[in-house]
Amino acid sequence: MKPGRTFAAIISIALVAGLMAGCGGTTPNGSQSETGKITVVGSTSVGPYMDELSKLFMGKNPGISINVEQVGSGQGIAATKDGSADIGMSSRELKDEEKPLNEYKLCLDGIAIVVHPDNPVSNLTKEQVKKIYLGEITNWKDVGGNDAPINLYTREASSGTRGAFEELVLGKDAAGKQITIDETICAAVLNSTGNLGASVGNDKNAIGYMSLGIVPEYIVKAIKFNGVDATPENVKNKTYALQRPFLLLTKNEPTGIVKDFLDFCLSSDEAKAYLESQKLIIE
Amino acid sequence: MENAVKISVKNLNLYYGDLQALKEVNIEISENSVTALIGPSGCGKSTFLKTLNRMNDLIPNTKITGEVLLDGNDIYAGDCDVIELRKNIGMVFQKPNPFPMSVFDNVAYGPRVHGERNKRALQETVERSLKAAALWDEVKDRLSKPALGLSGGQQQRLCIARVLAVQPEVVLMDEPTSSLDPISTGKIEDLMDELKKKYTIIIVTHNMQQAARISERTAFFLLGDLIEEGDTIDIFKTPRDKRTEDYITGRFG
Amino acid sequence: MKQGTARWRMNDKVIRSLLFVCAAISVVAVLLITVMIFVEAFPALKETGVWDFIAGTKWKPTDTPPQFGILPMIVGSVYVTGLALLFGLPIGMATSIFMAEIAPPKVAVVLRRAIEILAGIPSVVYGFFGLMMVVPIVQTLGGTGMSVLTASIILAVMILPTIVSVSEAALRAVPAEYKEGSLALGASHWQTIVRVQVPAAKSGILAATVLGIGRAVGETMAVILVAGNIPVIPESILKAVRTMTVNIVLEMGYVQPGSLHYSALFATGAVLFVFIMLLNFSIRALTKTRGEKQKNAKKH
Repeated sequence: MKPGRTFAAIISIALVAGLMAGCGGTTPNGSQSETGKITVVGSTSVGPYMDELSKLFMGKNPGISINVEQVGSGQGIAATKDGSADIGMSSRELKDEEKPLNEYKLCLDGIAIVVHPDNPVSNLTKEQVKKIYLGEITNWKDVGGNDAPINLYTREASSGTRGAFEELVLGKDAAGKQITIDETICAAVLNSTGNLGASVGNDKNAIGYMSLGIVPEYIVKAIKFNGVDATPENVKNKTYALQRPFLLLTKNEPTGIVKDFLDFCLSSDEAKAYLESQKLIIE
Repeated sequence: MENAVKISVKNLNLYYGDLQALKEVNIEISENSVTALIGPSGCGKSTFLKTLNRMNDLIPNTKITGEVLLDGNDIYAGDCDVIELRKNIGMVFQKPNPFPMSVFDNVAYGPRVHGERNKRALQETVERSLKAAALWDEVKDRLSKPALGLSGGQQQRLCIARVLAVQPEVVLMDEPTSSLDPISTGKIEDLMDELKKKYTIIIVTHNMQQAARISERTAFFLLGDLIEEGDTIDIFKTPRDKRTEDYITGRFG
Repeated sequence: MKQGTARWRMNDKVIRSLLFVCAAISVVAVLLITVMIFVEAFPALKETGVWDFIAGTKWKPTDTPPQFGILPMIVGSVYVTGLALLFGLPIGMATSIFMAEIAPPKVAVVLRRAIEILAGIPSVVYGFFGLMMVVPIVQTLGGTGMSVLTASIILAVMILPTIVSVSEAALRAVPAEYKEGSLALGASHWQTIVRVQVPAAKSGILAATVLGIGRAVGETMAVILVAGNIPVIPESILKAVRTMTVNIVLEMGYVQPGSLHYSALFATGAVLFVFIMLLNFSIRALTKTRGEKQKNAKKH
């Protein structure tokens, strides 16, 4: 090769390698000044609320820009661990292997079991829901509804809502291992709360699960669980058993603008007022 | 040479939008003859040729007045079937334009398009047409090979075979040899001598020697006017109009 | 005078090197991505065995021991893409024929703008439209509405602009002489289109198909909203399906980097990669043999 060509080849390889190396880097965790960028990554259940809170916060602090990415609890936890997110969002408790991370409880949320508004069934016991999602009950008539097949809708495997649902409803098997939803018997796997809500609203024979706070936005009916109405009050007084915490996570002790934002979300009156208006429970 | 009149053109005018391309053309073409249309570039001879098989219809904004009678019937009358017309009056173009198909499919294209499905009949037609175009011997072993693989002269003869396959009565040729070498040109000129026994041929040519060689009648066009028309010998030896004489002697064009 | 030419020669060299660097970056980037995919895919492929991975029908990454069989996803991708082509190619062809040969110029322009707009719509919008409008309609045919059929319909609309624009260009590029020759033989306009122009535009139409396939196979956002995404081989077009691309996206957030599951997702990517390469090569081979036949046939 001519010397010019060799030189050019070396430069290009170096450039590309450099670009790739740069992609794995970490973002600084807050600074002392009043400007900066915060990335918040995780649950699609928690996301919409954090989106709103970040807007409120940015309104007071125009120099700070906050980016909320809703990609699922699993990815949020992973991103927090590897440093690509300043704050992670999870809609379930952390598993042992995911600890340690700093966990901050934003609020409590109920998980509603939802069906199509025209579905006559309005109450299911935990046993019934478990059997339905294990494929042991397959027709609505077996739980007091119409003679029609039950179409199972579920979130994807990395969803915090799904993880919480599996933990609270399906429980563990004889060997002590968490029972998971078998996707092959489901009607559909959806990758966000919104999509699941929309899908259940489309299907008269559907059953699904989603964050209680979001239910009013979709044309679905939240049924009673073990005879208890799915309402924020019942989450607060613990009679509605399907509930899980919305967690904010950081890798290290938060400082600078990240700490400011967290304080805003967790302690400010404005944030609390907003969350309660959305039917979430502050403890 | 008292053949019947095949085509009779009366007071033909053609307009491309506002531009008048043909002015009051009157001419009679006899059956089984070769008529040459000569004249300088842009004089309207190709345009005139295209009025005979209504290929001008494809150009937007053209207007025609006058009559073109084929066997006494006006081809511009409302009830004329253009598809049938073009079957009866075939055209060979200046640049050979075989389809990107095999030799066989090219020649069989016309009959197929007009409804012929019988394999036997198609094979016979293809052979007959290729023989009539003096191309059979050269291609009989490569009928299924692409037509675009033939030489220029062969391609043009293929186009002639293609036209003959639909059994027209008239064959229009628009400068058919102008893109070919002298040997191919010679072959095609020989062909025309044979063809005129069965068909009426009208050929536009830039090449006056060619016109003199192959045609019985010649028509000289200039700027959309048919200046003079008559027996080829008379036109070339004793032209009546000065403009004709000037063109023939090469003073312009 | 001498100094001027020397500077020109220097500039020339610099520009050449610059252009070479740019081209090299593209090539190097592609190579690096390819290598990375296969390197990360290796552990899962080794553990499961390439054949069991491709032909296995059970995708249960969280079982002990985990099972990684992506046949349902391969079949899913093939079904959905194939059906999308079945719908999209004829409609695309008909549209391009209409635009190139039949429509008056003003109408053709309006159509072209509409197609361009269609091309610019983001995938997720298509997906949402599919979820809200197409799923309920397909539901009336039976099932939940989230199915192979729904995904194919959406994909067919998405690949339409590609097919139409490339096919139309190919049709317009067909020499006018062919059309003239055909009409002069007494063929009708439609016969000319079908027997001469479309076959003459074959390689362009093939290119349009390849591009359409490429887009359909790689499409994720629109599919994930309407296909149901369950990892089983669909029994009919009204059943739910999971494509290879969706498999990667759905499980992405769940995996720990370095785990076997993580590697299995890369392996899915590797299979997708090979799938598309094979498709491209075979279509290129088909067109080449035809082109070479034409070339070899020329004798002078």
